[in-house]
Amino acid sequence: MRSAEEIRDALRGRFPGIETRPVDPALSVTVQPDALREHLVFLRDELAFDFLVFMTALDRPADGAVELVYRLFSRESRTSVVVRVRLPRDGARVPTVSDIYRTAEWHERETAELFGVEFAGHPDPRRLLLPDDLEGYPLRKDFMHPNLVRLPEVT
Amino acid sequence: MNVTFGDRDEMSPSVTGITPLPAAQSTSDEFLLNVGPQHPATHGVLRVVVTMDGEVVKDIVPHIGYVHRGLEKLFENRTYEQIIPFTDRTDYLSAIANNFAYVMGVERLLGLEVPKKVEYMRVLMAELNRIASHLLWLAAYGLDMGAFTPFLYAFRDREEIGAMIEEASGGRLTTNYFRVGGFVHELPKEFFPRLRKFIARFGKAVNELDTLLVENAIFVARTRGVGVIGRERAVSYGMTGPCLRASNAAFDVRRDMPYSIYPSLDFEIPVGRNGDTWDRSWVRIEEMRQSLAILRQAMDGFPEGDHRTRAPRNIEPPAGEVYSAVEGPRGEIGFYIVSDGTRKPYRVKMRKPSFSNFSALPEILRGNKIADLVAVMGSLDLVVPEIDR
Repeated sequence: MRSAEEIRDALRGRFPGIETRPVDPALSVTVQPDALREHLVFLRDELAFDFLVFMTALDRPADGAVELVYRLFSRESRTSVVVRVRLPRDGARVPTVSDIYRTAEWHERETAELFGVEFAGHPDPRRLLLPDDLEGYPLRKDFMHPNLVRLPEVT
Repeated sequence: MNVTFGDRDEMSPSVTGITPLPAAQSTSDEFLLNVGPQHPATHGVLRVVVTMDGEVVKDIVPHIGYVHRGLEKLFENRTYEQIIPFTDRTDYLSAIANNFAYVMGVERLLGLEVPKKVEYMRVLMAELNRIASHLLWLAAYGLDMGAFTPFLYAFRDREEIGAMIEEASGGRLTTNYFRVGGFVHELPKEFFPRLRKFIARFGKAVNELDTLLVENAIFVARTRGVGVIGRERAVSYGMTGPCLRASNAAFDVRRDMPYSIYPSLDFEIPVGRNGDTWDRSWVRIEEMRQSLAILRQAMDGFPEGDHRTRAPRNIEPPAGEVYSAVEGPRGEIGFYIVSDGTRKPYRVKMRKPSFSNFSALPEILRGNKIADLVAVMGSLDLVVPEIDR
């Protein structure tokens, strides 16, 4: 049974200079896009994080970035780790992890169409939820559509 | 935006994701079969395209999104309070579990402690909701498999839960019951006598349902060894709830990511052996028994106190993020809420069990006969609005 501190130390031992901070009740790790797969494989195989709870993205137009969030859970140690990847908003591209965690296949398809992120090497890059002819990425903050009417501000 | 129908081939490779072999290379009776989006076995609007070799399923491609309402986008334009009724409508069979996960997330963002009594009320309602959901699954699954009678038995008992929940919340399905900080009203006076009667009777009723459907020889013949998924694969597909536990993986959010008063309650986590369709059914029956045990304990230990705490009138959590998960009837229901310090969330991601459970369908069904499609899909207990959100 590993504690959150031991997991943090194991990650720092394997990847010196990794950026970690505690986010209750999980440990948050920020990694480079190229190193994402390597980190996830290490977390899965060495630290028993066998469960990808979900993956999604956050649009941060102020920073010109899209932030990917992968939440992992280990049934063995009952701890969570959040792996983050920051990508530029234009031309956001990251390797797929759908072969590491099978559930990522659908989560990545969803994130791709809602946030405009390209997952390189994805086995089935068709749209998942949206109609084929919808233009734009709905969950980006600047998405506009004629059917989307802003509610009046609540004060 | 114009969508015109009939201007493209709905079975073309770009739509189905399947490229059929040219006839010259095909050595067998390979053909494509379309099921849905309107089909009685899908229990909602979804579609699967099956590649068949004779009557054996070679491959299967699920299509979802027919009831995608863009809820996560809507949430960004609603205040925290306004979101609660929407969470009901993602999964109409476990509205209370969805309320629970969301409200708990907002309370964690606010750093709000709720009274013990509120926790007990929440657990009572969540477990009643779990039994009601499993009963509806059993009723509908019986119908899928050609057994009509269990439907009547299951609805008789489900009706009682519906009445109890209605009395407390005013709603039967989409209850919109939980509030940040507690509840609007106390439990009605008649609630506990009614619950006591229900518990006394339902213990026998579960055994009845068990022998009527799950132990039934015809049912066993149709489900044993059908639609098997092993533990490693089930975990990799992010399956949760009864579907995962049937595959011999003892993962339950109530025990593994403890919340509310569950750590102080004594209950078991039923685990299947083979991960087949029968195990998925058996686990649900067993879970109803465990829920009954939880109800009994929560009723006996029900504390005195307040049914709410002082929550701020305008909910403005400090900037930050939280992930709160509960064990719903179908598995892990999670809300990932990111706050930027205003009255509306910056982003809400809903982690829904049916989404991940359904994504494993190709893995489960490959190599089975087409007649098992209905048996397998029913055993996953899918709720489509929850998949599409």
